[in-house]
Amino acid sequence: MAYSDKVLDHYQHPRNVGSLDKNAPDVGTGVVGAPECGDVMKLQIKVDDQGRIVDAKFKTYGCGSAIASSSLATEWLKGTHVDAAEQIKNTQIVEELSLPPVKIHCSVLAEDAIKAAIEDWRKKRAAVAGSPPNPEQQP
Amino acid sequence: MIHVPAPDPFTVFGLPRSLDLDERALESRYLRLSRDCHPDLHRAADTGDCIAVLQRAAEINDAWRVLRDPWQRARALLELLSPGALDRHKRLDPVFLAEALDLAEEVARADAAAAPALRARLQAALAADFAALRDAMQRGDCDAAARVCHASHYHQKALADLDAKS
Repeated sequence: MAYSDKVLDHYQHPRNVGSLDKNAPDVGTGVVGAPECGDVMKLQIKVDDQGRIVDAKFKTYGCGSAIASSSLATEWLKGTHVDAAEQIKNTQIVEELSLPPVKIHCSVLAEDAIKAAIEDWRKKRAAVAGSPPNPEQQP
Repeated sequence: MIHVPAPDPFTVFGLPRSLDLDERALESRYLRLSRDCHPDLHRAADTGDCIAVLQRAAEINDAWRVLRDPWQRARALLELLSPGALDRHKRLDPVFLAEALDLAEEVARADAAAAPALRARLQAALAADFAALRDAMQRGDCDAAARVCHASHYHQKALADLDAKS
């Protein structure tokens, strides 16, 4: 089975590989896996006060399609509002990368990773909003 | 969905549904069963008989492939005891997955000097996985056993990647 040119391009020149500080309050981290194939995908987003994703990084251990799916996802996420990012569907990734049916689960993994990262960021935000004001920040 | 051939491999071999099978007894049983339906020794009387013999031989080979590998045997057993348990527990703990990712990076970076220690660590992790699996099965906790099966896959893959490098 041949990979599409777009998959090969992302595989050979993956965009936004790396990590963000998972403990930072404005960073959301999603780590998901597909145990049948032993794939792991870590996707991180950095979100500004307006809810816009200003940076996205990924690390994926898996096949070319899994790497391409997460690389593409980070490209789409950058500059996008989290509300819009949450609407990204795996089928859009399948279409963009021309993934064959046996590789659709890679795009599902990427969608799961996006959702997990946003959920993590929302939890952190809710915790910050719900906690009493930090005395050090008071004038 | 894991494919368990019907009839299940334990039935094909006429063995109890158990995680712990004696490997030597298993192999001699395989050889005997294969001989019993070997087309050279077992002349088929007609076409229907011939097909039945071939089907039986295929069943024996499929069952052998599953039973001889302790992890595949465990998965088949789990699927028999609690159908769908493996499918229901695919979502693994993110902390474990993050560790699996670190491990994969470590394997990718490992040079010839670092490989033996890393290999020993992965083998120890797999042994611990199997002990945890046996423990869960003995408790009758198929859900925990399914999670261990999935988690072990990452250790198996890391070990295979490490072996492929040398």
